[in-house]
Amino acid sequence: MDKMDMAKAIYLAGKAIGAGLAMGIGAIGPGIGEGNIGAHAMDAMARQPEMMGAITTRMLLADAVAESTGIYSLLIAFLIIFAL
Amino acid sequence: MKISIERKDKIIIGSILITFFISWIFAARSLPPTEEAFSSLGHRWVVTIGKVTINPSTVIMGTVVFLIIVWFATSVRKELRLIPGRKQALAEWLLDSFYQMVEDTVPDERFVKPTFVVATSLFLYIWVSNMLGSVPGISFVGFEDGTLKEISLFTDTWQPPTADLNTNLTYALMVFVISHAFAIKAKGFKAWLKSWFEPNPIMFPMNLIGELAKPLSHSLRLFGNIAGGGILVFIFSYLVKYFLVPVFLWGFFGIFVGTIQALVFAILAIAYISAQLT
Repeated sequence: MDKMDMAKAIYLAGKAIGAGLAMGIGAIGPGIGEGNIGAHAMDAMARQPEMMGAITTRMLLADAVAESTGIYSLLIAFLIIFAL
Repeated sequence: MKISIERKDKIIIGSILITFFISWIFAARSLPPTEEAFSSLGHRWVVTIGKVTINPSTVIMGTVVFLIIVWFATSVRKELRLIPGRKQALAEWLLDSFYQMVEDTVPDERFVKPTFVVATSLFLYIWVSNMLGSVPGISFVGFEDGTLKEISLFTDTWQPPTADLNTNLTYALMVFVISHAFAIKAKGFKAWLKSWFEPNPIMFPMNLIGELAKPLSHSLRLFGNIAGGGILVFIFSYLVKYFLVPVFLWGFFGIFVGTIQALVFAILAIAYISAQLT
C-alpha cells in the first residue's frame, strides 16, 4: 500500500471514531437528565392531574436546558466530520 | 375549532405547494454524489470588504426579521382599541405573560421594566427568525473558502439569522454586559467588585470562569439547536431524495424546537439578570 493512502486511511478512521465517541458519550448525560425530568413530571401529573398543562410546558423547558450538552457534542461531531 | 379557508387563499397555498414540489423534483433529479453534496455542509457564503468580513445571508435575513416585527407592531398600533381584535389580543397576551414572569423573578422593582424590554425583544427576534427556518425558501451555499457555490431555490429553508453564531454571541454578550451594568447600578461599584471575591478571595478564578461560561453556553445552546437541526434535515433530505420527509422535519426543528429555544433564551436572560441583582 502507498504511504499516502495509509496516512489518509488513519486520518479518516480517526475522524469517524472521534465523531462517534463525541456523539455517543455526549448523549449519555442528556439521556439520564431528560429521563429524570420526564419521570418526575409523570409523578407530578399522577398526583395532580389538573396541573397537567403547566407541568408539560415546564417539562419541555427543562428538557431544552438539559439537552444542551448533547447539542454541544452534536456540534463537535459535525465539526470533526465536516470541518476538520 | 373549525378553520375556514377562502377560495383565494386555497389557490395561493396550492400554487406555493406545487412550486415546492416541482423544485424538489428538479433537486432530486440533479442530486450530486454524496461526497460533493456534503462537502459544502456548514460552509457559508461570506463577502470581504477591506478588513471586514460580512455574512450576507445573515444580514439580509436579519433585516427581514426586523421588518416583519416592525410591520406587526405598526399594524397592531394602527387599530388599538379597548375591545381588542385578534392581533391586539395576541400581542397583549404575549407581553402580559412576559411581564408577569419578569415581575415574579426580578427582586428589584426599578429593574423590572428594563429587564422586561430586553427579554421580550430578544424573544420576539429569535422566535421570528427561528420560524423562518421552517419555511422553504432561497438559501446560499458556499465553498470552503467562502465563495458562492450556488443559490438553492426552495430545496432548503430560509437561513435563519440565529443559525449563525455571530448573532447569538452578540445577544448573549449583550445580556452579560446588561446584567453587570444593572448589578453596578443596584448594589454600587464596591459591592459589585466585592461579589467577585465571595465567599473568600481564593474563589475568584471560579467566579470568573463561571461568569464567562454564561454567555458561551447561552449562545451555543441556541446556535447548536438551530444550525444542528438544519444540518440534520439536510442529511436526511439527501438520503430520502427530497421525498416528502423534509417538510415534517422542517416543521419539527423550525416550529417546535425554535419556539422552545426562543423561550429558553429569553428565560435564561431574565434569570442571569436577576441572579446579578440579588
